[in-house]
Amino acid sequence: MDIRPQHVQLATALPKRLLDFFRKYPPPALTQGLSAAETHASAPPAASLDTPALASSTSSADPNAPTIETPSAALAERPYRNPFQPTKNFATGKWNSPVFGLRRQADIVKLAQKHGVVDLLPYTIKLPGEREKRRIERGLRVKGTGVGERVKGKAWERTLKGRLEERRNAMLAMPQMIEDWKQRGHGRGWKKWPK
Amino acid sequence: MAKKAKSRTVMVRLLSMAMTGYFRSMMRPRQHRPLSMLKYDPIVRKKVLFLEQKRGGK
Repeated sequence: MDIRPQHVQLATALPKRLLDFFRKYPPPALTQGLSAAETHASAPPAASLDTPALASSTSSADPNAPTIETPSAALAERPYRNPFQPTKNFATGKWNSPVFGLRRQADIVKLAQKHGVVDLLPYTIKLPGEREKRRIERGLRVKGTGVGERVKGKAWERTLKGRLEERRNAMLAMPQMIEDWKQRGHGRGWKKWPK
Repeated sequence: MAKKAKSRTVMVRLLSMAMTGYFRSMMRPRQHRPLSMLKYDPIVRKKVLFLEQKRGGK
């Protein structure tokens, strides 16, 4: 309850784009906190507190308040889906693209950074410091060289060993072959022609 | 229609027996026996035996 005035203040200061975003995708921390409160209290007063404080604060000014509340209530029941990450449809087994592309993710992160609400955003690779963290984690490793990873390589690379072995054996047998060839009249009686 | 007369000579391919895939193309009389000779193979950098490849039916 004590954080509510802060959120009201935030909501009035935030640009429309961020507000729309938070209205549609309330911060997971807030919704989780609410769902936990609901499970603990399991009483109507908890539900009467609007899901995201931001949405409620804006809804007080908006005439269409009930239209906002209904999706937020539905969101509290459903598992949270990060709009910045692809989701798998388990019915079809196919992957759905993120709601926001990387360019729009970066836009929103930059905007949120400007207004100091980056912490409320769901996880995205565009978050400040995220790229550097990955760089440190992965270092300068070459893809395909880690544990359990294999490099397929080109066909000539995969067959190179066998071909070199064959060539080596052929060269080892070459003096004897030339000797046979000379004995058989320089190819007159030769039977084994290559295909 | 009469078939086209066969030429007196044929182009043949002499394969390196060093199994390098290197080959030389030569012309020989059709009735001549298959060619075979010692030639330089640049891949193994040696003189090796080259034998005529059997010509497949087209």
